[in-house]
Amino acid sequence: MMRLTETAPSSGVAPAAVTIRQVNYTFAGSQRPILRGVDLTLAKGEFVILTGPSGAGKTTLMTLVGALRAPQEGQINVLGAELGGMDGEAQLQLRRKIGFIFQDHNLFDALSAFETLWLATALDAKKPPRAEALRKAQSLLGELGLADYLHSKPGQLSTGQKQRVAIARALINTPPLILADEPTASLDKVSSDAVIALIKARVAQGAAALMVTHDARIFAAADRVVHMVDGKIDRVE
Amino acid sequence: MRALQFNRPEQGLGLRFLAHNPWRLAAAIAGVAMAVVIMFVELGLLMGVLHSQAMVASRMDADLVVMDRARIDLHKWTDMRGIRLNQIAAIDGVANVVPIYQGTMGLRTPPDLSVRRIVVFAFPPDESPFDIGDRAKISQALRMPGTVLFDRLSRDIYGPIRPGKDVELDGELFRMAGFVSLGADVVNDGAVMMSEGDWLSRHPGDSPIMGAIRLEPGADVEKLRQSIVAALPADVTVMTPAELRAREFSYTLRTAPIGILFGVGMLAGLVIGAITCYQILFNEIVDRFAQYATLRAMGFSDTFFRRVILEQALALSLAGFAVGVVLAAAAYAYLAEATALAVRLDVFSLVFVLVLTVGMTVLAGVFALKPVANADPASLY
Repeated sequence: MMRLTETAPSSGVAPAAVTIRQVNYTFAGSQRPILRGVDLTLAKGEFVILTGPSGAGKTTLMTLVGALRAPQEGQINVLGAELGGMDGEAQLQLRRKIGFIFQDHNLFDALSAFETLWLATALDAKKPPRAEALRKAQSLLGELGLADYLHSKPGQLSTGQKQRVAIARALINTPPLILADEPTASLDKVSSDAVIALIKARVAQGAAALMVTHDARIFAAADRVVHMVDGKIDRVE
Repeated sequence: MRALQFNRPEQGLGLRFLAHNPWRLAAAIAGVAMAVVIMFVELGLLMGVLHSQAMVASRMDADLVVMDRARIDLHKWTDMRGIRLNQIAAIDGVANVVPIYQGTMGLRTPPDLSVRRIVVFAFPPDESPFDIGDRAKISQALRMPGTVLFDRLSRDIYGPIRPGKDVELDGELFRMAGFVSLGADVVNDGAVMMSEGDWLSRHPGDSPIMGAIRLEPGADVEKLRQSIVAALPADVTVMTPAELRAREFSYTLRTAPIGILFGVGMLAGLVIGAITCYQILFNEIVDRFAQYATLRAMGFSDTFFRRVILEQALALSLAGFAVGVVLAAAAYAYLAEATALAVRLDVFSLVFVLVLTVGMTVLAGVFALKPVANADPASLY
């Protein structure tokens, strides 16, 4: 175990998908910074877990990397784009390359699993035709154990199944960066293993994955586990 | 909705969201339809009043109309000097000038034999100035002394009127020879047509209220109007029937309280409709706020959200309009029967209310979009 302010990918040769340098962040109206001098590098083909107690700044760091907030101090480079001073349209374009997995599935009741995934493909620059989207959706949902639920709407699915559909939505465009917030919180072990296996498969294909989780069962699957405490990186395992 | 096959994933998304909850959709359509009905009824009554007040001008069968300058609207009964009609008739290009007399008489009506006022139009039997029925039959009937024709579009207050029976007007019996079609207005409940001779024999020395000017075939109407105005003193106004109708519309709209009343009523319908639509669309958005915020986080643009909400607004407006038209048609039939005003569902009303309906729902959609536009996707984490 080591205490670090800056971490490097284990291989040391893969190009960086995310580079974070001396990032500070304070919420409006607060005196206390939520992030303090954070340095972190996430390489392409690397799976990093962020963990730590509530209020440590994990989620804030995740939203900054996802271009969902504008950085205040320090430098953040995501997929080759510098986030400092980035305009709204550029943020939008960058976010289309990121696979977001949220704690809540946030699926539209009116859309079937396939329609949900097909809608996500509208963000793919290649705009795959319906038949291709259907093939990809079948394959992806099959990997997540949902092959029989292609045309099921959220009302016909369990919470865990909905969460897996949301995960498939995040991965359908094969994003080079995956940002996940407690993706396995509502899943049983079998489903959780399937999700992690899928993310690891994407990482093996060159994607980078940054996941916030408290689920110690999956720490072993990550290349690195970064512990955050009080706005700083406390240690890396 | 599954039956619909879309080529792009974002196509028909707003429709699919709406159709997912049929009860809410039905309530939304009912809300828009109610606003549409309110607008139709107010517009129908307004247009009914306008058309009815200008009915005499609409039914005029003439190239030009002359009346006293002081007669600023058709319900101000200012007689003109009869000599003016003779002067106009002498101008080259004028084929003839038909004098029209107007007054009221007391019509004794069944079943209680009470006397009710009724408007009388009188003119030479062979030169009916109005397009109110078969010209030959009108001429044939009115040539008989002591004969009148009853306006079948009069209000029911006059009781059953049967052709061939005698009616009592100002205490004198007249033969009711048949019917014409003119129409009641807000002030007058009905009318009878009488020959000029019968009228003048009972109202000796009366002056015409207006004159219907017919020009020789091929005559230039505007040129002759200028010739008439130049030849006559300034105590008369010369207009085409269309101008007279437009003047009456304008007078009723600007000056008569009834025009303002229905105009405000229609505005109220529009505001109610807009608020209803806003509430419906706002609820649609609020209920799916997390889903919209998720799409926003994923990189969907404002244009995408605008398209979804406007698609919903458009669908609601068209569905609400369709239902509203059916209900309005029933309401119009009742109003036309109950008021004897010219309340009718015409192309103008349909297009006008459709434009207002689409406009108000789209506007409501634009305002309802604000929460999505302001959504902070970071709040999802």
